[in-house]
Amino acid sequence: MNIIDFLKNSANKYPEKTALIFENNSFTFDELWKSVKILSTSISSLNTNNVISLMAENSASFVISYLGIINSGKIAHLIPPEISETNMLTQISSSDSSAIICSTTVFHKISKYETIKIPIFQFNDLKKIKDNQIIDFQPNHVAYLVYTSGTTSVPKGVSVTHSMVDFTTKNIIHILKYSNSDIDVLPLPLHHSFGLGCLHTSLYIGSTLILLKNTNDLQSILDIIKKYRATTLAVIPATLTKFLKFNENELINYFSSIKLIITNSTKIPTNTVRNFKKILFNGYLATYYGLTEASRSTFMIFNKDSSYDESVGQPAPGIKIKIVNDTQKSKTGEIWIKGNNVIKKYWKNIQADENLIHGWLKTGDLGYFDDSGYLYLLGRSDDVINIGGEKVMPDEIEKIVKQIVGVENVAAFGIHHEIFGQVIKLHVIKSLNSDLDKSTILNYCIKNLEKYKIPSKIDFVTNIPQTDYGKVKRFMLK
Amino acid sequence: MNVENSVKNIFFEAFLNLSESDFSWNKEQKDYENWDSFAQLNLITLAEAKFDISLTLDEAIEIKSATDLLECVRSHLS
Repeated sequence: MNIIDFLKNSANKYPEKTALIFENNSFTFDELWKSVKILSTSISSLNTNNVISLMAENSASFVISYLGIINSGKIAHLIPPEISETNMLTQISSSDSSAIICSTTVFHKISKYETIKIPIFQFNDLKKIKDNQIIDFQPNHVAYLVYTSGTTSVPKGVSVTHSMVDFTTKNIIHILKYSNSDIDVLPLPLHHSFGLGCLHTSLYIGSTLILLKNTNDLQSILDIIKKYRATTLAVIPATLTKFLKFNENELINYFSSIKLIITNSTKIPTNTVRNFKKILFNGYLATYYGLTEASRSTFMIFNKDSSYDESVGQPAPGIKIKIVNDTQKSKTGEIWIKGNNVIKKYWKNIQADENLIHGWLKTGDLGYFDDSGYLYLLGRSDDVINIGGEKVMPDEIEKIVKQIVGVENVAAFGIHHEIFGQVIKLHVIKSLNSDLDKSTILNYCIKNLEKYKIPSKIDFVTNIPQTDYGKVKRFMLK
Repeated sequence: MNVENSVKNIFFEAFLNLSESDFSWNKEQKDYENWDSFAQLNLITLAEAKFDISLTLDEAIEIKSATDLLECVRSHLS
């Protein structure tokens, strides 16, 4: 099945059921399908090639445009609305996009850029087709194109096919037990694989999706859950941890209807996992490990047994994962993934294709399996700091430094050293009004880390570059 | 706290098992059980953080006792 079949089937089965709620607007499956067909017909009247860029914040128009582009037989190139002008131009050029469809907010920003040479359409420009003019189309082999957020290097184009989405969506539904009676709250950006996967799931199973603009307003998320008696919520680990600032009894009450919280992208702090096990009285917390290039490769459902609380779970059905390293002695190494969820090649990028070997994707992530087959993440292979032959993962240093009172955030990374090759440098953001000094940090590290892991340089900073998903962009620090 | 005491404290901070009776200004690197190249690096880092100074590689290599570190720090502060 392709993504359009997901919607078409649900519209046939549940035409009057609410498919999508965004702010004060709601669409039944039938209304959503009709809106998509109208938009596709409108798009077909534009003189475009295969790729159309979509650049907008979360909204019902985003959903309709995304599906409309795909239904018209084109590839939807998804651009984060907050992207810099330079990166946007790089993506447009690399993707061969022939038009941009965007929100009014984005239009006001990008219409000033004289460097954009392709037409820009606002959502409202594309809705002038009558029902009797609607055309049927055949979707492209590729559904959408996104550029990886780039924690380590220049972004790479990842083209995701309908068959990859079909495989992954069925795994999500089977493992996490989504059903058509679900009410799914989604405050994640739809231009990212995580949010998009949740949209596909709701369309496929025929549940109701409540789309929110962002994750920053925690109270709004809680209010929406309560108002609609939502059954599932998708958030990143950082949002889950922020929820813990609320009173536990209040959270138990707010989440009483929730049967599933799904999270992703990085390992969840153990304390957060343990707290949410208590809060989710009628449900469970789950996470997965995946990349845009290999979505939802493992799943982890947290249960009463705390033995695997730091794991990202076991490989999903039909997916192989192996650990590759230089030595037989260590069980730690780079994670390689193979399966129907893995891209065959990057978007017009021969150099990046070198990460794909006989169907295996070299992820650049480091990890290991325990004896029960659970996968644990250790960080990025590019992030390893080599201090005179001793290998150190920055996460380990950051975890210790974050325990110090007065540290709001920290990033550890390697810098060149004439004798050791590399030593550790820290960028530390102090909490408001903290009088923390470098000696205090060093003394704490000396007491809690091996001596080759002690940072050699510390800078107090006001900002640490991060991706949308809270991952430190270490390559920008080095 | 004067410079002398601060430098002495750096040794207690870098060598957690070092006792008052074990400390001597002229005790040399080879007489410390744990003074390897990483400990050397940590001594330098602690001194740089405490006195807000930056030691060159040559200076760092030359430090082989508490007295060496004290003199090096003093040269930067003077």
